[in-house]
Amino acid sequence: MGALRELRWIGRGLLFAALGFLLGAAGARGVAGLTGRSEVAQIVVTLGYVGALLGWLLGVGLWDVWVREWVGLPARSLQTQGWSRFFRFNTDHKVIGVQYLVTFVALLLLAGLLAVIMRVELATPGRDLLSARDFNTTMSLHGIIMIAVAVATIIGGFANFAVPLLIGAEDVAFPRVNALSYWIIPPVAVLLILTPFFGGFDTGWTAYPPLSVVNATGGLLFLLAFLTFGLSSILGGLNFITTIVKLRAPGMTWSRLPIFVWSILAAAIISLTATQFVAYGLLMVILDRVVGTGFFDAARGGNALLYEHVFWFYSHPAVYIMILPAFGIWLEVLTHFSRKPLFAYKLVVGAFLSIVVISYLVWAHHLFTSGMQNFLHLPFMVVTELISIPTGIVFLAALGTIWRGRLWLTTPMLFALALVFNFLIGGLTGIFLADVATDIQLQDTYFVVAHFHYTIMGGEIFAIFAGIYYWFPKITGRMFNERLGRLHFWWMFILYQITFIPMFWVGIQGMNRRVADYAPNLGGANQFISIATFLLGASFLVFVVNMVYSWLRGPVAGANPWRARTLDWQTSSPPPVENFQVPPHVVGYPYDYGVPGSVHAVVGVAGGAVTQEEAAGR
Amino acid sequence: MNRHTVSVALLWLALTALGELLVLRVGLFPVAAADEAVMVDRAFRVLMVLGVPVFAFVVATLGYSVLRFRSRGQPTEDGPPVHIHRPWVVFWFAWTTALTLVVIIHPGFTGLREIRSHAARPVDLTVQVQGGRWFWMVTYPEQRVTTVKELVLPVGRHVRFDVTATDVLHSFWIPAFRMKIDAVPGMVTTVSATPTQTGSFAEDAQFRLQCAELCGLNHADMTVPVRVVTESEFQAWVAAQARQTRTVGAR
Ligand SMILES: [Cu+2]
Ligand SMILES: [Cu+2]
Repeated sequence: MGALRELRWIGRGLLFAALGFLLGAAGARGVAGLTGRSEVAQIVVTLGYVGALLGWLLGVGLWDVWVREWVGLPARSLQTQGWSRFFRFNTDHKVIGVQYLVTFVALLLLAGLLAVIMRVELATPGRDLLSARDFNTTMSLHGIIMIAVAVATIIGGFANFAVPLLIGAEDVAFPRVNALSYWIIPPVAVLLILTPFFGGFDTGWTAYPPLSVVNATGGLLFLLAFLTFGLSSILGGLNFITTIVKLRAPGMTWSRLPIFVWSILAAAIISLTATQFVAYGLLMVILDRVVGTGFFDAARGGNALLYEHVFWFYSHPAVYIMILPAFGIWLEVLTHFSRKPLFAYKLVVGAFLSIVVISYLVWAHHLFTSGMQNFLHLPFMVVTELISIPTGIVFLAALGTIWRGRLWLTTPMLFALALVFNFLIGGLTGIFLADVATDIQLQDTYFVVAHFHYTIMGGEIFAIFAGIYYWFPKITGRMFNERLGRLHFWWMFILYQITFIPMFWVGIQGMNRRVADYAPNLGGANQFISIATFLLGASFLVFVVNMVYSWLRGPVAGANPWRARTLDWQTSSPPPVENFQVPPHVVGYPYDYGVPGSVHAVVGVAGGAVTQEEAAGR
Repeated sequence: MNRHTVSVALLWLALTALGELLVLRVGLFPVAAADEAVMVDRAFRVLMVLGVPVFAFVVATLGYSVLRFRSRGQPTEDGPPVHIHRPWVVFWFAWTTALTLVVIIHPGFTGLREIRSHAARPVDLTVQVQGGRWFWMVTYPEQRVTTVKELVLPVGRHVRFDVTATDVLHSFWIPAFRMKIDAVPGMVTTVSATPTQTGSFAEDAQFRLQCAELCGLNHADMTVPVRVVTESEFQAWVAAQARQTRTVGAR
């Protein structure tokens, strides 16, 4: 009973969501009556959902911590201690970070399961397990959930947890907006999980019209989910930019900012400024469906190609929303576990910022075979290939950092080192897709599938695991089991290569992507890939067991088990609500490993200020 | 040059040699049955040849570092406090920039120009292709032939495909020709190919017209067999098709 009482805010959210849906749906009936359109269901779903979303947010906490103030009532705090703080509208960035992490790791596992189901179907030519419709839905859901995981896990999870600590702040700039951007996520997940019950959706995550205008109602749920997720992304971007610009501790100059914070700033700039474009694209598709605007319908003067431009104007930069924070974790972990300064720090910062700029100028490399104007091919190929130069700087920094270091091969370090290898393959194969001639053949084949799994999974998902193992002791106050961690790493790393390298080959051999069936001569290769996928999937069980067991039973970690120098490790594990007992003072560079007498920050502990070396000695 | 650098350099050379050998020796591509396919495969191979040394360099440095610089257990001391090493930065920046420019020019620019100028040659045969859920309808306007059963092409002729779609996006793709263009409702997109050898779907699945843009339910099955035949066989096929159309019409 007590436990249920602790969940009452979620219950109220659900109740308000139901009321909101009814209100919205009733309004929709009226609108539909006025316009006399036949697609009543589409209008009802759309407006009902908008009502439900607002109801949910109000019920779950927006009313108490926010709206009450607008109407002149004192705001209520929903903060608490204990496990129930994770189940309510909590404004503590560390709680929100954990909420994001747990939610998105769960979604990652779900989407992984969908991949396994897909591979069962693809293990042999012909139709076995799934109908064509179910295959398309499974594939599309796998895609969009993994995209969401890749976009939000590091920014929502690790950046939320670690950025305020790393810059010596008490919280983010807008704690309530921060909580809002998390509580927007559950409706997104619910919508996506509901799609199979509304006819599924068969557009992939790209949702190209006209197909996305004419498919089943599940497609509409997907569009609404994507749009809502974008809102969360924009709010997150806004929050991190402001936090990093305004809340750095005294002495935390730009040239002393940890590289992970830089990577988050760069990604947040893209999040804030690019997401609107995909939102417009999705909104136009929704309008085409619901009120028949015909933006993308050639018969009514629309143009389907327009969507592809708008969509990729966001979705290419979005790749860097995913990968820049991964670079950040990657370099952060490599530095601390090599016990050497980060190599070429300022050049890396320059590389991050130039990637932000260039990422806006390459979108049409996804359109080389779309039928767009021929003269656009050359400039987009050139700019896309130029991205190799700043990306090369990141590799230089990684290799320069580990060179002659004292490499401590813990689980997070192993994941970070693997990232260098994976992203190398991802980057090099990207050039084949940036080159117009080879892309004409490779576009929409498994070569593309393999390529983006090497960048997004090999680069980003591996970074998520590096981050989980790296910050696990800080987040939970306990140490994970290192043996299980290494077992997870080697198992996942090896099976990952065995799964995805053959996909390049089947792509070259003419297997196109997003198909439930393929030419019989590729049966052997696909069977191999499927079996590898199942074994790869099993590696995650090791991870889950390790996490659950260690969180409950692991040995106490202490404040700084890695002896890292950044500020996140100069406070207790887990940190107190206010992060630092006395606001820290930054006096030097964070990565001066091996520099005699160097100090990054003076951190207060109860009883007066001490340097971090002294604090570590206590 | 210290001993670590020399070791990595040797490792790099060995890996590069091995990699290049593999690239040049291992046949990676399926049948290339058109001029365009040869161009695309050539560009692919150039990119492989250029990519191998880069791959080998990073792998050599990474692998050597992990094996050579790892510490047993938690390190008790810090590494050398090197923040930057200017000659290496210049070396790296110069090489990555140079390689990027090379790739942009060749095979990037040259490959694109080769395919374009090849497409600009006089057209011997025009085929109209219409994609719909879930079929391909091919029309030979000069021969007055329309079919949904197969795509038959004469060998050695420069064929232009005028592609469009009736409902949603599709994509016209013949793997054996390495050519692809989306079929967009309300638009006519074009792509051209010059088949260089006879062959058919029955012998090799690369001879197929495959929809390559997700178009819903039966997207995977939206294929039509392709058959490349000699000129005389093509004429015979056209005549047979025309006869069939007439008999159907007369009935
Ligand atoms: Cu892109
Ligand atoms: Cu199609």
